[in-house]
Amino acid sequence: MSARSGRSRRWPRVLRRRPWENAATATIGAGAAMLMQPFSLDLYGWSFAVILAGTAAFLVVSHFPE
Amino acid sequence: MTQTSSLHTLARRAGAATPPVVAARVRGLSDRAVAWLFITPTMLLLLAINVFPLIWTIRLSFTNYRANRPNAPLRWVGLENYTSILSDPDVWHAMQTTAHFVVWSITLQVLLGFGLALLINRQFRGHGLWTTVILLPMMLSPAVVGNFWTFLFQPQTGLFNHVVAFVSGRDPSSFQMIGDVTLAPWAIVLVDTWMWTPYVMLICLAGLRSIPDDLYEAAEVDRAGPFRRFWSITLPMVLPFLMLAVLFRGIENFKMFDMVNLLTSGGPGSTTEVASITLKREAFEKWRTGYSSAFAVILFVTVFGLANIYVKVLNGVKQR
Amino acid sequence: MSGATPIPPRAERWRNRAAAAAVIAYALITLLPILWIVQTGFKTPPDSIAYPPKLLAEPSLEGYVNLFTTRSRQTPEYIAALPPADGWVDRLVRSRNMVVAGPSKFGQRFVNSLVIGFGSTVLAVFLGTLAAYGFSRFKVPLKDDLLFFILSTRMMPPIAVAIPIFLMYRSLGLTDTHLGMILLYTAVNISLAVWLLKGFIDEIPREYEEAALIDGYSRLAAFRKVVLPQAATGIAATAIFCLIFAWNEYAFAVLLTSGEAQTLPPFIPFIIGEGGQDWPAVAAGTTLFLVPIVVFTVILRKHLLRGITFGAVRR
Repeated sequence: MSARSGRSRRWPRVLRRRPWENAATATIGAGAAMLMQPFSLDLYGWSFAVILAGTAAFLVVSHFPE
Repeated sequence: MTQTSSLHTLARRAGAATPPVVAARVRGLSDRAVAWLFITPTMLLLLAINVFPLIWTIRLSFTNYRANRPNAPLRWVGLENYTSILSDPDVWHAMQTTAHFVVWSITLQVLLGFGLALLINRQFRGHGLWTTVILLPMMLSPAVVGNFWTFLFQPQTGLFNHVVAFVSGRDPSSFQMIGDVTLAPWAIVLVDTWMWTPYVMLICLAGLRSIPDDLYEAAEVDRAGPFRRFWSITLPMVLPFLMLAVLFRGIENFKMFDMVNLLTSGGPGSTTEVASITLKREAFEKWRTGYSSAFAVILFVTVFGLANIYVKVLNGVKQR
Repeated sequence: MSGATPIPPRAERWRNRAAAAAVIAYALITLLPILWIVQTGFKTPPDSIAYPPKLLAEPSLEGYVNLFTTRSRQTPEYIAALPPADGWVDRLVRSRNMVVAGPSKFGQRFVNSLVIGFGSTVLAVFLGTLAAYGFSRFKVPLKDDLLFFILSTRMMPPIAVAIPIFLMYRSLGLTDTHLGMILLYTAVNISLAVWLLKGFIDEIPREYEEAALIDGYSRLAAFRKVVLPQAATGIAATAIFCLIFAWNEYAFAVLLTSGEAQTLPPFIPFIIGEGGQDWPAVAAGTTLFLVPIVVFTVILRKHLLRGITFGAVRR
């Protein structure tokens, strides 16, 4: 914890965890919705890419300091 | 008894006398060694039975491997398996079937479960006993439940048809739940709701019990009506718990296999063929191992992404 | 409280009664399918599929007899020529123009379920207790990530996991063996065990161990003599959760076992009589399968909430 708070002094304010984590969460949710929606085959086709991107992003941003 | 109380006095003495860091390394293995000694076996088991197979799946997903022909030449097909899954209308249809199942079963469970939790939270006499009775279905084996509901859904002779007939006045032979194209998707929703409403109820009940009484007292001072109290106190306080239940049930139902496999096994036609059943057919009936590995990876990543959100909500609830 | 209008106690009492009535009605409706299955186990095959369904049928143990035996159909002349039946089982079977050919596989599958259930539970709880203590008390690098990784293994779709496990077990010769199933269920249960037990161990004050360490105990001795006894309830509850999971599991069992190591869930649906499923026998098997779960649920009721939220929500 102490290492993390030390880092946060230099850490840019734009990269706080909360908003980025929410964005990644929204991306994963959107991807899951695209995977299962009944409207467009194209959206379905891109759903996996969106979920993969969202999940990868979540893994990264959840290590940002608060 | 005496042991605990002597421990208490010991604890007090120790707390007063020594900082914990000194206490931790008096003798024997160092803490670091103990930590690794304790955690490593678990990690090794999970690496062997989860991570190694996962890497194997990812590798296979780029090939045309077939498990029933292990000696056939292996060909690397790149992303072909993924592109064919993600452009296949049949798989898309299976995902929509899954969506119908997930959305409706969870909607019904939230409405029923939250309602029941509000009622049980009034703590009438005997609420403990009845809560335990209500909780029973969720502890049963989904496979065995799916199997015995086929008996209750038997055309003509099934108990379910006769109960519906008794309540609605229709002829018990005029409909069949699992043989009918329009009713079968609702049959799996119904059984899942019967089984998992208690799950949502139990978590909502925990949420209701976490609301401090003084919030309601303050609302009473403000002369807030019951509707207002529900909307501005109960719902926001229970919401994180509700999210927890919805996410977990969502993940579980997204990958639902056992109950549906025994209740309808995807039929009639493919009207109840949820994602896991399609995957089973591709992997263990058609033996298209490479193709089904790619499908498995897609499901893996989706569940993994949702699990991230679940743990985020879980940690939020834990801190309260 | 001063400015508020208190709800009259009479109205409050009536509301409580209405709530109780609604909850009891739901409980009875939810119990109905289970009771119906239990009762079907005590019906004769014709009664079990009667039209309209028989609410009250003459009780019969035919379902249980059919569950535990295999029978062969014979001509009435053959049966008349047999020596007199010994015992009620023989008489019951012969009244259907059949003779007992031998025991069914139900007993063996039941034993499989017990062996695999207890084997995997003991292993998962043993490894889980150690890991949970490690995560609870020590600074572990990447602790949150490791814990998340452990939990995520439980979330994975079983069919997706089964594809590589199937290939792996086939090349290792572990398909349809007790050892293979025990290892697999241990791996699935260990995530629950670690999370649940970490919650229980977190609640034991660290001061106890620190006092023991001051007293000259080693870390291991303090763990064994101080932490384990304090965590006993938690360990027992965790063990029951693991046991229930292994007992109920179907997807891995149906894909990876077929005979030797088959457990009950894939076996029960395929108890076949003449002309389709033998429903009283299936219902009898289901009843025997459910009894332990009902007992465990009653024992566990105070810990259920923890169990279904991986130890995060306590009360």
